Amino acid sequence: MNEIIEAVNRAAGDAESKAAVAVDAAALEALRIEYLGRNGLFPELSKKMGSVPPEERKATGTAFNTGRTRIQAALDAAHARIGQGDKTDKEAIDLTLPGRRTAAGHRHPITQLADECVSVFRRMGFVAVDGPEIEDIYHNFDALNTPDDHPSRDPKDTFYFPDGRILRSQTSPVQIRVMETHEPPVRIVAPGRVFRRDTPDATHGMNFHQIEGLYIDKDVSMADLKSVLQNFAWEMFGKDVKIRLRPHFFPFTEPSVEYDFSCVVCGGKGCNVCKNSGYIEIAGAGMVDPNVLKNVGYDPEIWSGYAFGLGLERLAMLRYRIPDLRFLYDNDVRFLEQF
Amino acid sequence: MDISRKWLSDYVKLDCDDACLCDKLTMAGIEVEKVEKSSTVPAGVVTAKILSREVHPQSDHLSVCRVTDGKEELQIVCGAPNCDAGMIVPLAKIGTVFHTDEGDFKIKRSKLRGVESFGMMCSEKELGISENNDGLMIFPADTALGVEVVSLYPGDTRIELEITPNRPDCLSMWGVARDVSCLLSTPAQLPEIGIPECDIPVDDLVTVENMELCPRYIGRVIENVKIGPSPDWLKERLESVGLRSINNVVDVTNFVMLELGQPLHAFDRDTLTGKRVVVRNARAGETITLLDGKVVELQPEHLVIADAVKPMALAGIMGGENSGVTEKTVNILLESAVFKSSHIRSESRRLGISTDASYRYERGVDFDMAELASIRACQLILATAGGVIASKAMEVSAPRPAEPVIRCRFARIRALIGTTVSNERIVDILQKLHLKVTDITAESCVVTAPLFRLDLTREADLAEEVARIDGLDKIPMIPVAGKVCHPDSEDAYAPLRNLRDLVIGMGFDECVHYSIVGSASALVDSRFEKNDLIELSNPLSPDNGWMRPGLLGEMLGTVGRNIARGNRDLRLFELDKAFCKNPEKFPEERNELLILLTGKRHPEQFSADGEKLYDFYDIKGVVETLLDKLAITNFRFVIPEKADGRFRNGYALELQLEGKTAGMFGELSPQHAASWRSSAPVFFAQLEAAALIAAAGHVKKSCKELAQFPGTARDIAFIAPENLASGEVIDFIRKCKAPNFESVRLFDIFVGDELKKQHKKSMAYSLSFRNRERTLTDNEVNAAMEKIRKRLEAELKVELR
Repeated sequence: MNEIIEAVNRAAGDAESKAAVAVDAAALEALRIEYLGRNGLFPELSKKMGSVPPEERKATGTAFNTGRTRIQAALDAAHARIGQGDKTDKEAIDLTLPGRRTAAGHRHPITQLADECVSVFRRMGFVAVDGPEIEDIYHNFDALNTPDDHPSRDPKDTFYFPDGRILRSQTSPVQIRVMETHEPPVRIVAPGRVFRRDTPDATHGMNFHQIEGLYIDKDVSMADLKSVLQNFAWEMFGKDVKIRLRPHFFPFTEPSVEYDFSCVVCGGKGCNVCKNSGYIEIAGAGMVDPNVLKNVGYDPEIWSGYAFGLGLERLAMLRYRIPDLRFLYDNDVRFLEQF
Repeated sequence: MDISRKWLSDYVKLDCDDACLCDKLTMAGIEVEKVEKSSTVPAGVVTAKILSREVHPQSDHLSVCRVTDGKEELQIVCGAPNCDAGMIVPLAKIGTVFHTDEGDFKIKRSKLRGVESFGMMCSEKELGISENNDGLMIFPADTALGVEVVSLYPGDTRIELEITPNRPDCLSMWGVARDVSCLLSTPAQLPEIGIPECDIPVDDLVTVENMELCPRYIGRVIENVKIGPSPDWLKERLESVGLRSINNVVDVTNFVMLELGQPLHAFDRDTLTGKRVVVRNARAGETITLLDGKVVELQPEHLVIADAVKPMALAGIMGGENSGVTEKTVNILLESAVFKSSHIRSESRRLGISTDASYRYERGVDFDMAELASIRACQLILATAGGVIASKAMEVSAPRPAEPVIRCRFARIRALIGTTVSNERIVDILQKLHLKVTDITAESCVVTAPLFRLDLTREADLAEEVARIDGLDKIPMIPVAGKVCHPDSEDAYAPLRNLRDLVIGMGFDECVHYSIVGSASALVDSRFEKNDLIELSNPLSPDNGWMRPGLLGEMLGTVGRNIARGNRDLRLFELDKAFCKNPEKFPEERNELLILLTGKRHPEQFSADGEKLYDFYDIKGVVETLLDKLAITNFRFVIPEKADGRFRNGYALELQLEGKTAGMFGELSPQHAASWRSSAPVFFAQLEAAALIAAAGHVKKSCKELAQFPGTARDIAFIAPENLASGEVIDFIRKCKAPNFESVRLFDIFVGDELKKQHKKSMAYSLSFRNRERTLTDNEVNAAMEKIRKRLEAELKVELR
């Protein structure tokens, strides 16, 4: 026991007695300053720590801590006894000042739709895969049963590189790449950027985004395709949306269909979005053409399946009523922060 | 292609209204694009009888009539000269709306010179039925009263169809009629087609030198025709689908092409040198002036129809200026030919000429139709222009192509479509589509596809026919079987989505830019030179032909655009592909993550808080937080060895993961921001997504036991040379490996005036010591501290305080 420890204990006892008889918050504050304040008794005493022999330092430290705790407890108890008094009034804050915010962050509408589509199809067992955007003619056209003189191969419509490769004009080449490297069954979706040689305007761009779907297995029928697409329509636009399949033509599917959603704006009654038809064309689909299956070494007598593809810009524009495609590539934060 | 309802009903009875017909066509894969009704008789105009007529008391030119539509009697004031009691006439009742070029015009109750009138009686012109405006239109005396006139004069309906490339057989009225007959289950019937027999041969009339490109050519000679205007029925048919009438012979060739899908050409035989045609490749140096006046310099790959000397027509595309029928023409050589579709397609594209003929040829015409179309055209020329058939069919033809024979297994069709369509129904559909069905058993049948159905070669093609005719709406909904075919590890999207989610979670707005850029934008990223850029062969414009090598260029464009619009406080990012030609720098395609911030840190705040701008430590914090969220701990921030043009000198750090560069971050070089109306510095991080994803994938998380014994903290403060980096001090202290050392944290840096003069600064660190087995004694900690203090003093040359 050294004299510092004694002084600390004494001070703690004194403070306790004074706190017990304090009558208001001001008196307690004075007490706090007297003992614990910056120039109070405790900090004063602690300056003498240096003179304490090392073997006593620990005990002295403990005494300091105990003393401080005793005083604080006595002050707290006295506060509780006296009540809060006028403290809140004195330090009143302006509750209407702005909060200190964390920046919110916003997902681009195209990505929102891509994420949603991937999630919906993922729940139906499709895994999302990726493929190159600089693609060769074989995967983008030949393997997909596209005739040699098909107009989509024309350099007027598709971007070419000097080495003969192209910017993929569709996400369908991902189908081929997956089937080349996987034994069936295969159940994938492939979201991504595709390129067409269109001058940007309200409904066209140099590129847009698609999501491709492919399912190859035994005994897959158009009923499976229709059900998956109907389920997708429900998930994306609610239970009231109906789908309609219309026969169409694509080189890589047979039978081929286009699928329409009942108009998500007017509900099918007819409006300017659906051009009074009650339906909105969403994209193409069909049963994978036997030639495509043969091209990747699948036996069409054993395996069958469907493929579908849809444009994400179109979905985003429908979902958020975006009037002009160029808004999506302009990246004005006043636009981005709406989503 | 446009069809006319009236014309179509020449071949098939249409027992349904326009809406129903259009719906059936669309749902059978022949999509209706546009419907246009030609009748202008408005609803509300009914047949009515004039009961009496009196002269208007105020005007000799007007009559006051009592008129009945069988239901009510009305007073009508009429100005028509032929108006008389007993006539049955069209009456537009009050409320009828006429649609005219000048706008809508509604019939109202009115007073004409003081006499009330309750409607208007109409002329044929007023109803748009004819040009006759001489007086009221008069119906036969036995016409029922009160009948809507539009039902008596329905006019025609023009329907624009989108014919998919696999269905060239539908590029004719007859072709569409075939499908319609199947859809409506009513037979389709061609009119009687035939000509007087003629077996006069004309030697050398037709020579075909290139049978590959012209597998069939039929020429017929018709003599002594009289060129003149077409009869009304022919004009009406052509005009109903938007074609202009030219003369009887040309109109017939167009009519037959539209009716049967076979393009025809009528040559004035007297303009042909040698009065014959040769189908051959053009010779070098030959030219031809086409009907539209365009001069084409011919190449040997062009196929032409020549006379004995010179080219007279571009095969399958367009006739020559001097080859066609004129008013002086007397003798005709009628061509009905088949040309190779791919040849016509490439020629048409190369020349930039598309005609009704080339459109049909490039999709493929029916090999068998050439003969029938030739006879049909002769028949109609004789009927409209007179003349005589002066030759038999002079034909040069390759062997007829074999018709595909397809086995059709009923079970397989059902399995593909997913319906329970019966064997009988399948056979019925195929037969109604004019396909030959044989060998019908309980399991299958054999289908021979006619040559007009070039798209039918396989069982799957037949499945499509059954599906579209039976109706895709018959396909049932079945429960979705969410079969798992792939492990999650194959999901390429999830890691990118996770990265995106983390950055959005840190408050950044996602941008999407075009990935085709100009070279200036591409080279903003100074890691790349022009040789590294992947260049397009056929860009939309010459200054926009490169694949972006990084995301910075376009992002800076967006920043500049936003600032110009007054959006100065920006937190933006993009995660997408970047492209590089130089494999020593990067793979051809990779995902880059670009995060950028500039402006006020808390624009929503006020006073000093609201004015604070982002600084270097904000972007560094973003990168650190991102790494923390990805649980990547084995990273290093390295001061780059050489200056990087993207960054302000001395304000950038390189991120290294597993010893390799994985990105850079820091302050944007002010030269890039020079033109912006914002003085706030811009900070960005460019990160390689694959490296982040790989490093995060290697993290093995394992739980560490929490320390049970208290730690001890000690502070240390010293005066250091001003260029001593804090990171160096921290590394140094760590490397001292003092016993029980746990961590070190900078808590103060101070540079006062006095210190500044001496090029010094004060630094203060808080060190923590802990032992996992016991509470440390003061002595232990002091000894450890002493060791660190001594080494700092000796090796970092600091003055301890």
